[in-house]
Amino acid sequence: MSDTRAGDGNRREPSGDDALVSLDDVDVHFEEETGLFDFDEPDVVHAVDGVSLDVEEKDVVALVGESGCGKTTLGKTTIGLQRPTAGTVSYRGHDIWEAKDGRGDIPFEEIRSSLQIIHQDPGSSLNPNQRIVDILSEPIRHTNPDAGLSERRSRIYSLLERVGINPAGEYADRYPHQLSGGEKQRVALCRALLMNPDVILADEAISALDVSLRVEMMDLMLDLQEDFDTSYVFISHDLSNARYFAEHGDGKIGVMYLGELVEIGHPQELINDPKHPYTQVLRWATPKLERHRTEPEEPPMRKIDIPDPVNPPSGCRFHTRCPEARDICAEETPERYGVGERGQEAACFRVLDDHDYWDSDPIED
Amino acid sequence: MSTNGSTEQESKIRTDDPIIEVRDASVTYDDGTSYVLDHASIDVERSEVLGVVGESGSGKSMFASAMMDAIPDPGVLSGKIVYHPDEGEPVDVLALDDEELREFRWEEVSMVFQGAMSSFNPTMKIEEHFRETLKAHDAPVEEGMSFARELLEDLYLDPKRVFDVYPHELSGGMQQRALIALSLVLEPEVLIMDEPTAALDLLMQRSILMLLHELQQKYNLTMVFITHDLPLVADLADRMAVIYAFQFAEVGPRDEVVGNSGHPYTRALLNATPNIEAPLEEMRPIPGDQPAPINVPSGCSYHPRCPLSTEECEEVDPSFYDVEGDHVAACHHWEEAQEEIDLHLAGDDDGAVASDGGVDDE
Repeated sequence: MSDTRAGDGNRREPSGDDALVSLDDVDVHFEEETGLFDFDEPDVVHAVDGVSLDVEEKDVVALVGESGCGKTTLGKTTIGLQRPTAGTVSYRGHDIWEAKDGRGDIPFEEIRSSLQIIHQDPGSSLNPNQRIVDILSEPIRHTNPDAGLSERRSRIYSLLERVGINPAGEYADRYPHQLSGGEKQRVALCRALLMNPDVILADEAISALDVSLRVEMMDLMLDLQEDFDTSYVFISHDLSNARYFAEHGDGKIGVMYLGELVEIGHPQELINDPKHPYTQVLRWATPKLERHRTEPEEPPMRKIDIPDPVNPPSGCRFHTRCPEARDICAEETPERYGVGERGQEAACFRVLDDHDYWDSDPIED
Repeated sequence: MSTNGSTEQESKIRTDDPIIEVRDASVTYDDGTSYVLDHASIDVERSEVLGVVGESGSGKSMFASAMMDAIPDPGVLSGKIVYHPDEGEPVDVLALDDEELREFRWEEVSMVFQGAMSSFNPTMKIEEHFRETLKAHDAPVEEGMSFARELLEDLYLDPKRVFDVYPHELSGGMQQRALIALSLVLEPEVLIMDEPTAALDLLMQRSILMLLHELQQKYNLTMVFITHDLPLVADLADRMAVIYAFQFAEVGPRDEVVGNSGHPYTRALLNATPNIEAPLEEMRPIPGDQPAPINVPSGCSYHPRCPLSTEECEEVDPSFYDVEGDHVAACHHWEEAQEEIDLHLAGDDDGAVASDGGVDDE
C-alpha cells in the first residue's frame, strides 16, 4: 500500500457550478409494495445511496457494476428522469427538481430536452407504427419548429448517412421492424442527437448487440460526440466496453456496488491498478482473451450472489463478499478516499496506511 | 465449406473418440431454396468442451437444435446425426421415434437455453420441477433428489432455500444455475448450452463459467457451449468452432483458433472484440454485414467482406484446409491470412508476437 497517497478522508466536494451536471450526496430509495393489508413498515430498496458525481462538458462517464447495483437508477437520476429522495442534482448550476417544481430560474423543459437517453432495447423505444423519417422528425420539430418538410428531410438524410445507414432515403421510409438491431440502435442515437442534447445516457446501449458490432457502435457514438458537443453517461456491466468507451472518450469509470459509488477514476488507473476489492472482482469477471487458455481462476470474492438491496450489509456493503474483509468493515462505513495523482478515489479502508483496519481481525465465514 | 462427403474432408473433421457426429446437417424453411444451416459437419469429442461461436443470425442456434433433432416447425433437417453412447451401438438420432427422442433429449443429451424463466413453469416450485422430471423419466425419485441437492450445491445454491420457492423469486443468475442443475439431474452425457448466460451480467456469466468448468471436471461431461461472445467461451473451451453464414468457417483446438486462426473472419472477429488488455487502437469493427439466408454470396460466403478475396474465392466455396494438426479452416488463403492480418490479443502489447505462423509486417 506504500504507493498510495491517502486523502483527507472527507467526501469530495462537487465542483458544482463548473460541471454540466452535478450530483451532490444523492439518495434514491424505493418503497416496495408489501400488500394491501400489510401495515408493517414497507421495504425500502436503497437503489442509490450518498452518491456525488460530476459530468463535465464533452465528458464521458462510464458506470459499471452487476445487475441490481443501482447504475441505471443513478444514470436516470443524472439526466433528471428519476427524482432523488435526498441530495441535489443540478444542471449548469440550476437545481433540476426546483425547476421541475416551478421554483427554478430556467424552464424544466429546457433541462429535460438537454438530457437524453438511449435504451438497451431500441426495438421497444421506437414507435412501431411510425416510419423512421417520422420518428426523427419529432425532435427536429421540437428544437427547430420553423424547419420545413424539405429541411427536416435533408437533415435526417444527412444524419442517417453519417451513422452509416445507406441509402438514407430508402431507410427513412421504413418502419422499425424492417431494421436490424444495430440499425435500430443507430436510429435511436440519431433521435437523441437531434435534440442537441448536452448529455446522452446510454443505458446498456450496446449490450444487446453482437460482440462484433459493439466497437463499431462505440466508435460511432464517440465520433458524433465531436460533431454534437455532447457528454455521455455510459452504463455497462462489461468493464472492457467501459474501458474502450471511457478511454477513447477521455473520461472516467465509476464502479457501483449496492447503490454506492465505490471507486472512480480514469480507465487506465482504475483497470490497471484497481484499489477497491470489488473493482478487482469486476476485473476478474472480464474475459482477457489471451493467446493461450489458462485454467479458470477462482473469483476474488467469498460469495457469488449479491445481497438483497432491501437490507444492505452494515459498514462497507461489500464486506459480506470481500476476500479482504475484516471485523471493522462490518462496523464502519468507508468514504471515498483519494489515491494517486489523477483523481482516482476508492471507498476502501485498505487505501489508508494508518487505518484501524490493519489491526482488525479478518472476517471468517 | 461444403464437405461433399469426400473421404479427404471426412478425415479433417474426424476426432479420436466422437460422442456426436454431425454430417452435412442442413435446415431449410423453404424446401431447399435457402438454408439456415448449410451442410454443417463436425465431431463433438467425448468429454470435451466445444465452444461454438457465431453472430446473431449465423445459424448457431440451428446447429444446437439440429444435434437434438429439435428444429422448430416447419423447418426441415437433413443430413446425419450419430450419437455414440459410452457403451452399446451408435444411435442414428434422426431415425428415433418420438418416445425415443424424448428419452434421448434428457437422459443422453440435455440442453439449456438463454432465459431460464421461459424454461421453468412459473406456477411450480423449483423442487417440483426436479421431482416431475425424475418421475417423467421413470428415474428413482429419492436418489435423484439427493443428486439434485448435490448439483445445486455444486452451483453454489442452497437446496433448502431454492427448492421451496417459485422460479420468479430467484435472481436471474440463480434461475439459470437452477436450470443447469435441472438439465443435469438425469445424468446426461452431453450438455448443450445455447447462450446460457447471455441475459446475465458479466460477473454472473463468469461465475457460471467457472462453475461449469468444475461440473465438467467432476462429472466428466461433454459440453457444447454456443455463443456470440468469443472471449467468454475462449476461457472454457478445449476446442472452438466458428460459424459464419450457416457453415463452419474454422474448427480447431482453442489455442490454435484464438492464437493462430486461419480464417480471415475469425481474425477479424478477434480484432473486433473489446478486450480488457489488448491495445485499444488495434480494435477494429468488421466492415460490411453478414448475409441473410436468401442471398448468401457465391463461392466463399465471406468474400465480399474479406480483404484477401480473389477470383477463386468468388467462384469456389472452400472446403476445409489443414492449418496445423486438428486445426482446419475453410479458406483458400489461410496462410496469407495468418501473415497479413495481425492479431492483437491480451499480452501482445509490443506487437512482436502478433502472428505465430507468419511474418509480422508491422
